[in-house]
This record gives sequence, structure tokens and C-alpha cells, in this order.
Amino acid sequence: MIYYNTNNDPVTQWINYNPRSCFLMTQLGGIRPLDLTEIIDRTKRILDDREIKLLDGNSEITGKDFLIKIWKLVMSVPMGVAIVTKTIKSSAIPNIFYEIGMMNTLGKDTIVIKCKHFKIPSDFIRTEYIEFDNETYDHKFNNYLDRVFDYSKYCVTMANNLTAKPILTLDYLRRAYLITGDADIKTKAEDIMSRESFDEHTLLMLKSAFEIK
Amino acid sequence: MAEKQRIVQVKNPKSGHYVKIDRKEGKILSHKKSDGPYKGVTIVRKSSK
Repeated sequence: MIYYNTNNDPVTQWINYNPRSCFLMTQLGGIRPLDLTEIIDRTKRILDDREIKLLDGNSEITGKDFLIKIWKLVMSVPMGVAIVTKTIKSSAIPNIFYEIGMMNTLGKDTIVIKCKHFKIPSDFIRTEYIEFDNETYDHKFNNYLDRVFDYSKYCVTMANNLTAKPILTLDYLRRAYLITGDADIKTKAEDIMSRESFDEHTLLMLKSAFEIK
Repeated sequence: MAEKQRIVQVKNPKSGHYVKIDRKEGKILSHKKSDGPYKGVTIVRKSSK
């Protein structure tokens, strides 16, 4: 079960997932500092090269509760990148770390990109980070993405070896599919879903994870 | 399923540690705390499909 963060009820509706995407956590409103703009642009270019969509809180205009919108976006992506600099508004920083917490709780991969003198809160000591540096940033961020895609292979391997438990298998495939958007993974999931029997709710959740209409 | 292949291990790239699996039961048995693989347990190579 996955729960909404606003009313604690479980999700019972179709979830619009965004395979091969990355959620951006940073200051969105106000005047954007130049150093932040540079890091975002560099990050977006690297993601574009790998055909990974960069989504943020402004990516979808729904007119509904902003927190629910963020929560749905967080749930829809495989990974998130938080960008923090000394120049961003101090009021944006707690929001960024709250979103990282949400992502970690939902099992999403996260990375913090920070400027040299930014001090990361102690609770995030285990969260991976990259210190932005003009020379090495592309290499380091690409390395991080390689590791995320390597994790998708691990998920497929786990799925292939846990077939005695279809839900567990499908959960690993779901995460691999969300990272890669690979059609073969989707086909494998469809095959399992056609063989096994699930209740209506479970089937809806599984079908939305693999975008099976 | 032969006993040797029933229990296998896979390296989790996130933690860097091996995970032991019972393939017949579809169960994760344990996560290794220290470096290196479990002794005497077949290592499954990663696959993307």
C-alpha cells in the first residue's frame, strides 16, 4: 500500500508514472541565482543526453493542492536531484530536504548537488552528494546516473530470481522499468500479470506502474 | 531445484553488499554486513532483461 501524505488514506486510483525521469528539488520561485541556474542547466543537459526528463513542481499545472501535486510527482519518478547553494532563499531549503525525505521513503534514488560551503543537515549524512565544480561535475553526475542504471539491472536480476513470489518480482520489475522505461521489462511484467491472479486494486496499481491501459 | 542453485547471491550496487536469496521460496534470506560474497553460495551475474 502507498499512502497519501495529506490524509493518510491508501492510493486506490491510477498513478501517472514518469519512467526515465528525474525530479528536480530546488528553489523554483523568486529570482533564480546565477550559480543555481548554471547547475540546473548543466544537469538538464546531461539528462537530455540520456533521454531522461527533468520534472519539477511547475511541470504540471493542476490547480489542486500543491503538496499533493509534489507528492504525486515524487511518486511518479525513479530518482530525484536536489540542488542547494548558499545563494538560494533560506525558506526553500527545508522544502528541498522534506522532498528528499519523501523520495527516500518511497524508495526513490536521490542525490544532492551542493556548492562548496553548503553544509548538509546531519540527518542526510548518508545521502549521496556531489560538490559542484565546473571541471568535474559532468563526470561525477554521469557516474551517479550510471549507478542508478546499474541498480535497475540489479532489480531485474532480483526479479528473475524471486519468481516464486510474483508481487516481489513485479515490485523489482516496476522499479527497473521506472528507471529505464525498457519495453522488455514491461513485457515480462505483463506476462506475469496474465499468469497470476490478483485482486482488482492490486492489478490497478500494477498496471499503472507499467503503464498498461 | 538443486540445492546449489536454490540459494544464490546478488550484489546490491547501492549498498555494495551481497544479498542471499532462496529462489525456490522466492525469499530474501539475508544481507551480508561485511565486504565480499557469502562463501559457497553461487553468485548470480546481473542481467538487464
